[in-house]
Amino acid sequence: MRELPSRYEEHFLSPVNQKTIRNRILAALPAQEFALIEGSLTRTDLHLGETLHLAGAKIEQVYFPEIGFISAMAVLSDGSPIEIGLIGAEGAAGVAVLLGAKTSYSETMCQTAGAAHRMSVEALNRAIGEAPHLRDLLLKYIHAFHVQVAQTAACNAHHEVSQRLARWLLAAHDRSGVPELSLTQDLIAVMLGVRRATVSIAAGMLQKAGVIRYQHGRITIIDRIGLENAACECYSVVVSEYRNLLGIDPAVVAAEHLPMSPA
Amino acid sequence: MTKPKASEPPVNRLLALLSSRDNAALRPHLERLPLDYKQSLYRADKPVDFVYFIEAGVGSLVNTMANGQAAEVGTIGNEGIVGLPIVLGDDQAPTAVYVQVPGSGLRMKASLFKRELARSPTMQVVMLRYVHALFNQVAQSAACNHFHSLEQRCCRWLLMTRDRMDSDKFLLTQEFLAMMLGVQRPGVSIAAGGLQRAGLINYSRGNVAILDGVGLKKRSCECYGVSKREFDRLLGV
Repeated sequence: MRELPSRYEEHFLSPVNQKTIRNRILAALPAQEFALIEGSLTRTDLHLGETLHLAGAKIEQVYFPEIGFISAMAVLSDGSPIEIGLIGAEGAAGVAVLLGAKTSYSETMCQTAGAAHRMSVEALNRAIGEAPHLRDLLLKYIHAFHVQVAQTAACNAHHEVSQRLARWLLAAHDRSGVPELSLTQDLIAVMLGVRRATVSIAAGMLQKAGVIRYQHGRITIIDRIGLENAACECYSVVVSEYRNLLGIDPAVVAAEHLPMSPA
Repeated sequence: MTKPKASEPPVNRLLALLSSRDNAALRPHLERLPLDYKQSLYRADKPVDFVYFIEAGVGSLVNTMANGQAAEVGTIGNEGIVGLPIVLGDDQAPTAVYVQVPGSGLRMKASLFKRELARSPTMQVVMLRYVHALFNQVAQSAACNHFHSLEQRCCRWLLMTRDRMDSDKFLLTQEFLAMMLGVQRPGVSIAAGGLQRAGLINYSRGNVAILDGVGLKKRSCECYGVSKREFDRLLGV
């Protein structure tokens, strides 16, 4: 647990160094474009359950995750949320500003504790005119994220909760960069838009099949292949598209401990 | 195929939002052609060769599942551009676009559109605004497909199609409606039958006639209104 408030942490941390950045968009920028935005990037903690953007609210900051991942959720008028996509170190949250959006359609929430670099929308808009690679990377990422959301729309019409749970666990595991996920059934239930009891039953089935272990709020994936078999094809379709569109695997990006060399 | 004339205002409402200069840049490359039922405007995981500006009719964004079943994830009519990957700098996507309600539209080579887009920041702003509106529609579908009943979703899609046709009567095969709803055909009969019995629509041999739009909106889930308001706000269409 952190003892100091986040803003003190930001002062104490070392200046932003592109060579040690994991976020794939920031790491892939040519040096001169990174230099352009460097001063506007602030490293910030991501706290479990923290809301970064509220549905319908003005987008103030764009977040580039370093460690951990974020869920984007559609929220119905009665407040019912459902996850439409996951964002890890392969992407960014709040990027709809590039499409001219002022407000966020989805609510974005941190699924894990972690860290990110954030940048104000004003700073991004100022820089984007002189940073064509940043613009291209962000637009390509928007496309990849859209593919994930479209697949989720189709998945939600066709697939069973057990398949959707398996898919979600895989995608979450990929982006968490750690072998064990600390996730409550309540949280997963919210993401899938189902009751906790439903998650319990589905998770129980996966545990029985020897594919996951679920104890004291921690899920460990024991058999990745088994879990991939239990998931609907939507998991691998999205992974494959991210590879085609972005040239990366979210799992590889999250797990990387070595600095990535800039383009 | 014919070419659009400089003297006529664009029928496609997204083109109508472009400056006259941007329209003039596109016009020489645009050709008008009929859009036939089930025609594929671009295929999943294949390069997008042409972008289309629908003038009449409706296109469906369709994902095909591993078991061969199709699922509609979005709808495009004369308010938009068919060719979202191109606008975002890519060549292809796992979603296909098929003509759901036949009509006509303008098309141009994707490579030429890309070139013109790169030259015009004002064109980029308009196209990206449409991308945003479409993206939100698809995101709403993700929520809708999970939470809302078949009947509610049926109402939503019928209303969305009506908006894009600008007509209360249109062709919509059971096959297509089944695909939009992600069900088999009997499911469509049940959903459509309910709406027909309530006097909201008449649906016979693939012909839809909306009899009571207000009633249909009441039966729909909120997702229809949410998407409509977004489109109106972003594109003033």
